Amino acid sequence: MSALTDEDYAITEGGRPLGALYAGNARAVIERGFRVIKSQNWIILVSGFFEPVFYLLSMGIGLGSLVGTVTGPGGAPISYAAYIAPALLAVSAMNGAIYDSTWNVFFKMHFGKLYQGMLYTSLGPLDIAMGEIFMALFRGFLYALGFTGVMGVMGLITTPWALLLVPASVMVAFGFASFGMAVTSYMKTFQQMDMITFVMLPMFLFSATFYPLSVYPVPVQWIVQAFPLWHGVELMRQISIGAFSSATGVHLLYYAVMILVGVAFTTGRLRSLFLR
Amino acid sequence: MTDAARTRLAAHAPEVSAAKARRWGSFYFAEHVLRSMRAYLVTIVVTSVGNPLLYLFSMGVGLASIVDRSAGGAHGVFGGVGYLAFAAPALLVSSAVMTSANEMMFPVMDGFKWRRFYYGPHVTPLVPGQLAAGHIMAVGVRLTLQCLVFFLIMLAFGAAPGPWAWLLVPIGVFAGMAFGAPLMAYSAHIESENFQFSMIQRFIVMPLFLFSGTFYPLATMPVGMQWIGWISPLWHGNELGRMASYGLSEPGWLVAVHVLYLGALGAVGIWWARRNYAKRMGK
Repeated sequence: MSALTDEDYAITEGGRPLGALYAGNARAVIERGFRVIKSQNWIILVSGFFEPVFYLLSMGIGLGSLVGTVTGPGGAPISYAAYIAPALLAVSAMNGAIYDSTWNVFFKMHFGKLYQGMLYTSLGPLDIAMGEIFMALFRGFLYALGFTGVMGVMGLITTPWALLLVPASVMVAFGFASFGMAVTSYMKTFQQMDMITFVMLPMFLFSATFYPLSVYPVPVQWIVQAFPLWHGVELMRQISIGAFSSATGVHLLYYAVMILVGVAFTTGRLRSLFLR
Repeated sequence: MTDAARTRLAAHAPEVSAAKARRWGSFYFAEHVLRSMRAYLVTIVVTSVGNPLLYLFSMGVGLASIVDRSAGGAHGVFGGVGYLAFAAPALLVSSAVMTSANEMMFPVMDGFKWRRFYYGPHVTPLVPGQLAAGHIMAVGVRLTLQCLVFFLIMLAFGAAPGPWAWLLVPIGVFAGMAFGAPLMAYSAHIESENFQFSMIQRFIVMPLFLFSGTFYPLATMPVGMQWIGWISPLWHGNELGRMASYGLSEPGWLVAVHVLYLGALGAVGIWWARRNYAKRMGK
């Protein structure tokens, strides 16, 4: 047996594009995610579904009987429950994605040291980012499916377009999940993690979830329109009754850009964290 | 060792220390809990000021713009006031209940299991009941300050019209304790944590916030769902808060029910918590 030389130890990229970042094995990260769900936290995952449903029941039935009808996206009057339901779905997609890609990632990063372990293997930062984002999207997909079913049972679905709520919900989740992980990588303490809540709560309360944007003064409207959640809410609301306009394209474009930038950002962050 | 040397090494003779601890132990421990809250003081301050501002503006001003138009003075469902004045006191009581819930879950588990900071004081003459009482007092102080801030912000919004509106501060603390004390007893008894706190958050705290007549009168709900309000400390607190804030009129017997129910929950909770603390520390 001949002695190994330095060349035998050299790391080669194998000639694929992004070879240093991506080993083409996000599957392994995803598989681990499913094992964890199966053995530990499925109950947490399932319980997350109920929050938007409780909101829909409380606000839709209780407040809905006081408010009556409101003006829907196409200008036609719709019931208050039908008005807030798609917005709550967008909020739920955001919350699920953010939870999965922030707190979950924070624990794995700082306590479990899970990613360091993964990066010792052939996995690259992009594998990890894609695996984790996929898990967040899977969760968003389940919630969207369940919630759309609840809307159907409550008689809030009147058009076949509403089936598009599920893929749209996954897209909204993708937008937030792709950013969540990158933002989390800057966080060192629990107190800093609370900052995420401080950003999410106002976005939830002000993104035209429970009442139309027009109640605000114009400068406030501009700020709200810059929030990603507002685009999600509007998109879902248009889909729910099949009333599309040129704004639909703007909302879709917003998320497309958000996803691209977010994934690039997350990969870059993971790379600079671990591959120094 | 001479008496003089002993005096130099100890502030008091052991009997004096023990007597002081027996007498003031709850307060000593309350001070400890309050000081440890300083670790997240920034979060406390930002949420205590930020949440009222956000909720009052979003719900009381934004939502009010569509609710008042369709349901306001017309049929007087809010007892003759606008939606902002109707929702604000309930939002104050809700925030007190939710803060109390948080302070009575993880920190209690922390004391018994994770960081075990109950066990240091336990080897002194302090008894478990004093630790429980100290924790309750500290949470009471936090709730009082938080409710006061919320009330001042309500004043700024013009959302507390009545002369007795300041009573919202003690009412908020009262409702917070009525919910928090039994929860504390429950937390003290958990040996291994299997998402119980997340479940409580999602299936008790959150639904109570949504179904306790916070955003609309309880009677607006179908009768089949109104029972959630009847058993909810939050609804009883909300009603008392509305009476104080803008003079919601309620029959005398119902007022008595509100006060007695909240008082009973709080008293039973404190008794049960002290008992569970003693049991847990004796293990």
